[in-house]
Amino acid sequence: MAATLDTLLPPERVQSGPVPDDPFGNHAFTRVYPESEEEIAAVLRYAHEKGLSVIPSGNGTKRGYGGLEETADILLSLARMTGITEHSAGDLTMAVRPGTTIEAINEALKPYGQMLPLDVPWPEEATIGGVIAANDSGPKRLKYGSARDMVIGLRVVYPDGKVIRTGGNVVKNVAGYDMNKLFIGSMGTLGVISEVRVKLRPLPPFQSLLLIPFDEADHDALSAFVIDLQNSHLEPSALELLSPRLARRLASGSTWTLAVAFEDREKAVIAQEAWVKEKRATDIIAFRQDAAAQWWREFSRIAPNAAGRGPDPPTHATEIAIKIGSKNADVIPLLLTGDALAEALGVTMHGHGGVGHGISRLYAQGADAALLQYVEEVRRAAEDKEGYAIVTHMPLSLRRRCDVWGGKPTHFPLLRAIKQSIDPKRVLNPRRFVGGL
Amino acid sequence: MFKKTSAVADAVVRGLQDIVGPDKVLYQSADLLAYECDAYTLHKGMPRAVVFPGSTEDVAAIVKFLNRNRVPFIARGAGTGLSGGAIPLGGEVIISLVQMKKLLHLDLTNRYAVVQPGYINLQLTNAIADRGYYYAPDPSSQGNCTIGGNVAENAGGAHCLKYGVTTNHVLGLEVVLPNGEIVEIGGAGMPDAPGYDLIGLLTGSEGTLAIVTKIVVRILKVPQDKRTALAYFDSIEDASRAVSAIISCGIVPAALEMMDRIAIEGVEKAAFPVGHPKGIAALLLIEVDGIAEGIEDQIRDIAEVCRKCNVREVKIAQTEAERALWWANRKTGFAAMGTISPDYLVQDDVIPRSRLPEVLARIQQISEASGLRIANIFHAGDGNLHPLVLFDSRKPGESERAVQASMACLKACADAGGSITGEHGVGLEKKEAMRLIFTDEEIEAQMAVRRVFNPNDLLNPGKLFPTPGRCAETKQAEPEAVTGH
Repeated sequence: MAATLDTLLPPERVQSGPVPDDPFGNHAFTRVYPESEEEIAAVLRYAHEKGLSVIPSGNGTKRGYGGLEETADILLSLARMTGITEHSAGDLTMAVRPGTTIEAINEALKPYGQMLPLDVPWPEEATIGGVIAANDSGPKRLKYGSARDMVIGLRVVYPDGKVIRTGGNVVKNVAGYDMNKLFIGSMGTLGVISEVRVKLRPLPPFQSLLLIPFDEADHDALSAFVIDLQNSHLEPSALELLSPRLARRLASGSTWTLAVAFEDREKAVIAQEAWVKEKRATDIIAFRQDAAAQWWREFSRIAPNAAGRGPDPPTHATEIAIKIGSKNADVIPLLLTGDALAEALGVTMHGHGGVGHGISRLYAQGADAALLQYVEEVRRAAEDKEGYAIVTHMPLSLRRRCDVWGGKPTHFPLLRAIKQSIDPKRVLNPRRFVGGL
Repeated sequence: MFKKTSAVADAVVRGLQDIVGPDKVLYQSADLLAYECDAYTLHKGMPRAVVFPGSTEDVAAIVKFLNRNRVPFIARGAGTGLSGGAIPLGGEVIISLVQMKKLLHLDLTNRYAVVQPGYINLQLTNAIADRGYYYAPDPSSQGNCTIGGNVAENAGGAHCLKYGVTTNHVLGLEVVLPNGEIVEIGGAGMPDAPGYDLIGLLTGSEGTLAIVTKIVVRILKVPQDKRTALAYFDSIEDASRAVSAIISCGIVPAALEMMDRIAIEGVEKAAFPVGHPKGIAALLLIEVDGIAEGIEDQIRDIAEVCRKCNVREVKIAQTEAERALWWANRKTGFAAMGTISPDYLVQDDVIPRSRLPEVLARIQQISEASGLRIANIFHAGDGNLHPLVLFDSRKPGESERAVQASMACLKACADAGGSITGEHGVGLEKKEAMRLIFTDEEIEAQMAVRRVFNPNDLLNPGKLFPTPGRCAETKQAEPEAVTGH
């Protein structure tokens, strides 16, 4: 097979050899590194014709996210499809190749006073293609939204090698179906993204971060403060609750801590800080400008990373990541439950959740059996509140022992029919997604 | 709605009456006339009947019945659509959702509301305004249009520059599929529900994939403060440059609207004249909102940018009444064209905003070549143009010339890297224009999605996609062949 692929790509960009010695799977003996959309299409056409399976990949930070296979036939790495193809500063839009990291994008935009506000984990490694395929996001989605609010157009190579453009170049567009949405969060099961076009935002003129600790025994004060803040005129860019263990790492205390970020004109930021300090004078730690940005950089490195940049300090225990989606008001009780369950099961948990956007993340370390039980119990707690819990990082051996997606939604037949329509031969990422899609 | 005097001849009508009751079905031609078109009036078609379900279960039963009998059908809200998405091609049953108009649930803590599809857009904001909340998407027809219709069209509005269009505010949907199955997606508005983003796919699908029967929408807190400004320019070129300069200077205005000389002439003769200075070439209506302490700086920066672009005058609204008047002047702009022209055609192109100067110049050329005046009144901040071609349908050949001029504008925008519609939808009007921006393969990829949801092509057939040849006549079932439900 490698020999045939050699005719499609320059031989130095077709590699064969043992897969890395790590527990995540989602790899392949044959790895190809296309540098153009035509090369992606050529590889997919070949795979489609021969009935081979293909795993698209960026820098590999999400190899522990979904999937039940140690290896596929081909790993299609987009790591060399990098660079910004177009940036129109006057339009606040850009087109970028999928292997470009979020950090590289934001470095390039900084001189223009612009940004792509996707505050995902590991921005120095996570590629835009991977972030969109996995629909990753961070605490600041509260203000800026998530991938679905930013992507205005995609170029997608279908499993049979044809290239489809979705959306367009403009920030407002309702021509035809909004096909962008199909690919955002589809875990690479429908097509390979070969170019992404996004809306940008101006860099905020000023930013600050307040870390507000709450007494361990006083959850009511925490809830009351959050409700008060949300009912106020304040416009925080993040309102993220940190678990005690995470607070010990990123703040000073080891108690439930609310991270409140403001990004606005300086006067507006200071006025909002003043509001918070008046309501809650005790022990606030405040960071402004670069110090705030530095704190968020630290924050972006707390999630596990299958590309090898593990937690710091390193650990030898198994590590998993759980994503919970719930109503905003259920974030606090679900984080409390997640913390208590970890305690009961002997699992170490660092967690955080957006009390204004409903996404919580639990990073847990421990013995395999305890972690599996932890997933199950956290999921039960989330589902009791009409939410969901999925596992976004886990070694393959454990992924085979639980359903990381938490079963099928009631409308699963539609999802299956979409997969069947676009990828009938199941070339792309077989069994990576919900319900074995 | 009508008196039942004798058995109805059409078995399909009888079947519908059996489901919802005889008073919820219109079928006599006099009653059907109002449903020949929506707010796009250049095409008309007669529906077979109009049925008014009162519940999701009604919709499901109706759809099952029609699907079984292979009768095409169209979902319709208030009929304010501007691209003809709710116009029958002839013989479809219209499922009107106007009687499903309840606000089902309001959860301020979690910032969402659950509404039925026939609920009017503005009513939602009115229902929560006293508690300091609002629903962001604000199409100009917001006093009449339904949220179900907004979802179908992915409706926009003047304030979507900062806050996004309908799709950015829909958290969950309950829909009836074209086979009658009821499906709930996104539950109680959970973010990022696992699976393909069907909410995103269905929003803006123009009623060709499913019928929306329940919608969970995000509601927002009213900003603490806002400031509205009018900037008057002596050249359209300067006004266009100011738009791009404002966008790239680090401010995201809540709204950034533009009107040119002809548009201003129209609005000043209509119901809400503002007293704009005589002789100006263009005006920008600019609004910023947010934390009070930051507002002054924003408006000052915007005024400064406008000055660098040779603005004649910048005026800040001093009272809420003044602000409301400025917005009424703008929002009734399309209708105001009636004061200066017997007829008008509105287009809905989108361009990259940095290309406004050249595209507006091109539209001027199209106007001169056609001999028809074209007014421009649009969402400049998004690059969403609405060229209004003014014409008199009583003059022979003028309607055709107007359509040609309007399509030429569309082509000019597509050529500038834009889109054929920013918020009005493709519908009937622009299905052929889809070819201006998509390849056959890309259109086929979209149609493949439609076949997943709508395999028998009974739900709103003949819309959205260009017709291959002339074989796309609406299918009609033989009344004799009707089976029970």
